[in-house]
Amino acid sequence: MAEIFDSLATTLVDTFKEATFVLPELIVLIAALIAPLVFYLTKNGKIVAAVSFALIAVSALVTMLLMHTVTYGVAASMFEFDAFSSLMMLLFMAVAFLTIMVSPCHVETTKHAGEYYALICAIVAGMMFAASAANLLAIFISVEVVSISSYALVALKKNDPRASEAAVKYLIIGAFSTALTLFGMSMIFGVTGTLDIAEISAIVPTMAANWAFIVGCIGMIAGYGFKIAAVPFHSWAPDVYEGASTPVSGFLATASKKMGFAVLFKIFFALFIIGSTGVFTLEFQYVFAIIAAITMTVGNVVAISQSNIKRMLAYSSVAQAGYIMIALAVMSQYATTGALFHMFTHVVMKGGAFIIVAALITAGLGEKIEDYKGLAKRAPLVAAAMMLFLFSLAGIPPLAGFTSKFVLFSGAIFVNGAVSMQWMWLALIAVLNSAISLYYYARVVKAMYIEKPACEDKVSVPKPFMVAILLCVIGVIVLGVYPEYLIDLCSKAATALWLL
Amino acid sequence: MIGILDYVWLVPLAPVLCFVIAGFFGKKTPQGGGYIAIAGALIAFIIAALASYDYFTSDYYANNIAYTVEMEWMAVGEFSINFGVYIDTLSCIMMLFASFISTLIFIYSIGYMDDQGVKKTRYYAEVSLFLTGMLGLAVSSNYLEMFVFWEVMGLCSYLLIGFWSFTHPEGDEAAFRASSAAKKAFLVTRLGDVCLMAGLFVLLHLFGSLDYADIFNFDIATVDSNMLMVAILLMFAGVVGKSAQFPLHDWLPDAMAGPTTVSALIHAATMVKAGIYLVARSYPIFIHCTDAMIIVAVIGGVTAIYTASMALNNMNIKRVLAYSTLSQLGYMVLALGAGAYLMSLGIEEGEPELMLLGGAGYAAGIFHMINHAFFKALLFLCSGSVIHAVGTEDMRMMGGLRTKMPITAYTMLIGSLSIAGIPILSGFWSKDLVLEAAFAPFHHGLGAGSIFMVLFILGMITAFMTAFYMFRMWFMTFCGEPRGHCHGESPKPMTVPLCILAVFAVISGLFVVFDGSYYILESLRTTIDTVIPFHTGMEIVEEIFTAIPTYVALVLAVVGIGIAWKLYVKTPYDAEAFKPENHGALYNFNAKRHYFPELYNWISWKFGAGVAKGVNALDVHVIDGTVNGLSNAVVGGGEGLSAVQTGYVRDYAGLVAVGVISILAVFCLIFLYGGGF
Repeated sequence: MAEIFDSLATTLVDTFKEATFVLPELIVLIAALIAPLVFYLTKNGKIVAAVSFALIAVSALVTMLLMHTVTYGVAASMFEFDAFSSLMMLLFMAVAFLTIMVSPCHVETTKHAGEYYALICAIVAGMMFAASAANLLAIFISVEVVSISSYALVALKKNDPRASEAAVKYLIIGAFSTALTLFGMSMIFGVTGTLDIAEISAIVPTMAANWAFIVGCIGMIAGYGFKIAAVPFHSWAPDVYEGASTPVSGFLATASKKMGFAVLFKIFFALFIIGSTGVFTLEFQYVFAIIAAITMTVGNVVAISQSNIKRMLAYSSVAQAGYIMIALAVMSQYATTGALFHMFTHVVMKGGAFIIVAALITAGLGEKIEDYKGLAKRAPLVAAAMMLFLFSLAGIPPLAGFTSKFVLFSGAIFVNGAVSMQWMWLALIAVLNSAISLYYYARVVKAMYIEKPACEDKVSVPKPFMVAILLCVIGVIVLGVYPEYLIDLCSKAATALWLL
Repeated sequence: MIGILDYVWLVPLAPVLCFVIAGFFGKKTPQGGGYIAIAGALIAFIIAALASYDYFTSDYYANNIAYTVEMEWMAVGEFSINFGVYIDTLSCIMMLFASFISTLIFIYSIGYMDDQGVKKTRYYAEVSLFLTGMLGLAVSSNYLEMFVFWEVMGLCSYLLIGFWSFTHPEGDEAAFRASSAAKKAFLVTRLGDVCLMAGLFVLLHLFGSLDYADIFNFDIATVDSNMLMVAILLMFAGVVGKSAQFPLHDWLPDAMAGPTTVSALIHAATMVKAGIYLVARSYPIFIHCTDAMIIVAVIGGVTAIYTASMALNNMNIKRVLAYSTLSQLGYMVLALGAGAYLMSLGIEEGEPELMLLGGAGYAAGIFHMINHAFFKALLFLCSGSVIHAVGTEDMRMMGGLRTKMPITAYTMLIGSLSIAGIPILSGFWSKDLVLEAAFAPFHHGLGAGSIFMVLFILGMITAFMTAFYMFRMWFMTFCGEPRGHCHGESPKPMTVPLCILAVFAVISGLFVVFDGSYYILESLRTTIDTVIPFHTGMEIVEEIFTAIPTYVALVLAVVGIGIAWKLYVKTPYDAEAFKPENHGALYNFNAKRHYFPELYNWISWKFGAGVAKGVNALDVHVIDGTVNGLSNAVVGGGEGLSAVQTGYVRDYAGLVAVGVISILAVFCLIFLYGGGF
């Protein structure tokens, strides 16, 4: 078996030469390009979805093949296909799978199926490029591909004024973030004279401390802080998630944020860790730690008072971003492993929750938490799945959220193989926060399981939704009980980041 | 050795398989999966019994080491978290009594839940999972694994307490009560769980591992003692939540809203015993923190008397039992705390006498846990039988049931006598040992002796109260004139478990006579280097019957029963006397549970919700307001657009600037604090 894979990988490398290492991205890009054409020819959204789905599946298979045979390399000296980028690509494609699977039968989805799937594929391709980019300019352009497509995707729900409002808001805030990022990058370029991340990481330890470097870093933190919705740059998230059609919200909440983290990891680990003698490392670690603590606290506390479930999930996403930021504060391989692992579990639990919300909107339920009253009676399976997702988000064992949170939080205690006191406080704040979070998750569970429904009719959920929900349920349970395999992959990815 | 020990992981696996089978296919089987659940519990018990036998005859036992098998659950770099089994005497005791009592409760459920229709499937699936949680907890080999099962139980208790939350047999109000009780149980115990989790992180920080084997063999002298105290107190906070100690005790009485069998399960075999187990399991580290152990003992003693006082005038048969559980749990925590205190001083000073007493305290706590499991399961199932027959939980509507349901009446009498501490029933032995442990520090003139003397007196008063309220309950239910209708004795599946449990409520105390404390202490021998001396069974018997406190406690118990008899049998029943307005402030204060539910509500509403609303307002008005205004201006168009737009853009840009500048400021502060350039 192994030989077959090896020979396949060799064939790929022989055929596509250097381009093999951007092959997964290119396949998804092709999907983005032909989606409108397919729609023009068939006028059938389902076929477009199927084509995009198939092409992304091919891309995922190629990625897995290359990963499995450890065929890593660099394309155009700009895009590095390694354990980290390939893992992130799989994450983005997994989210795309779930989104495309449920989109055709979702009511909020627009009639403009050609554009819709084209945009999703373009975003995924952009994210994949961003994850593999090894150059600040490449990162910037990839992220912009994602951003611009996302604005359009949010605005595509044309019949809803909330969506237009959200899209405009998203656009303006996104423009700010872009400007800040670009400003930061130009500062870094000015200081180091290069845009290549590896070169920068070699230059930084040798240079004298200077303010342009600090301003450059802060510009990038603020710019990508918007992407990951870190406080105080989070205000777009609830509005956008509420306004966009629900599969899109789920897509943005689970994938777009992860891209922000992938980019932050790449840039900041390169600046501060690799070969570094520690210019400003400690200071920026504390900056990240403070942002992390504030982000998780604000996210969780504000989520308590939300009555719209999409807004609640949005704030809970903000909080989750705070947890993941622990890795940026601790800057250790262990914590990064935990962060990557948490990103995956977040996909299944938060993605699953958004899919359920989408499914229930399709089935005619509202978005308010009170609309979920008595759901356990009206749709027992969906309610049970929702309960699993929410409890997993709250970190209740043995579900995935608990395992990943444990690894992530313990990453604040184990730093580079030894126990450390330095980030203990961050771990304790995180534990406290996950306790607060239970309160608002339990509120939804209470509504579903305990309060009387307004009407007793059964809620019927379309099949594709059920399949997607089931996949997420399996993910939530399997990743909780048997995390070993994925943690191993995440650990390799984290090591790859260090070897940049 | 018969080789079963290697399959001990089947103990928690059997019920979890039954959970899956009953959950998916239960509807198609008779009794909605009831027999599957019974089979699961029974298989778990049989394997547990064989494995325990195997352990006791193995070399592990002979050499004082725990049987440990671990496999890697997840690994990050060099650090790995294991999943495995850790079998010593304590684990054996836990899994044996939990599975045995659960089997009986499940059999009883066949009769009790018979009329529940399709909901039975859900019930049997959930109780199976519940049992899995407890058994998994008992065999876990590290703290994290234990925590996983700890939380599984928490989740199941939530589902089971809220079992009747849609349709309660007693109507909508009861259904609402059930739902809020479930939420309360979940959130209050969760508060403790968070502390426990934080405590585990501190432990991880101190020991670099969460495996029992690693932590107990660690050279504890090298550990920062202040941090150790923090860890221990945080872990104990978890116990306070789970075992419903003061001040997080209030969820347990409310948890009565679930089916009575669930109450029996929570109170006797699982859930609340998990906290006691955690204390007992953590003894090797707890005994290194003398001061914290005083706190543990004080919490136990206060809980014991405080909750016993609430049972004095309650009218609900199940609530009286719930308060008595709280009070008995207080006893256990008191004994374990006092034992750890004595043992720590004993080891510190190399004093065998104190170690002996400490060991006796430890044994007393565990021993009381076992005995309590039997008599409390019996009492709850009896009360379930009564409720099944009369259809109410209010003791004012009962009375005179003795002739109509004799089996229930007399088995419950045995349970009541046992909990009241009448020789030679089981409660007598363990309660006496508990009180003895509380008395010892004073007796030996130790530093905190006077505190323990107070606790001892509180324990004595509690013994009196216990006898009084238990017999008040028994007399009100079974004696006097009938005050309501009754269907007669319950069916066989319910009465047979009662009889079996009654036998155990009588004889389980005799364990101590057969060198019980030696076996219980065995688990400490595997983890503590120092040899802990012990009393043989006969020495304990001799000690108990020659000590004055034994007779004082006995007299108090008899007096308590006598007063109950005088008030509730000799005095004719008078409905007027039970109305709240005919009582003083103290009575009503007690009936209102000392306003604890109100206090919880007040804290959560005023504080929790207030903070959340405040932050939300900030987020909505200040942050969102600017953004909303901005986008409205852009989308809306029309008059005055440019003016509004510029204004808002400036505001919004200002916000971004504030964000960026505050990052810069934070950076500079840290930078300057660190010494500047």
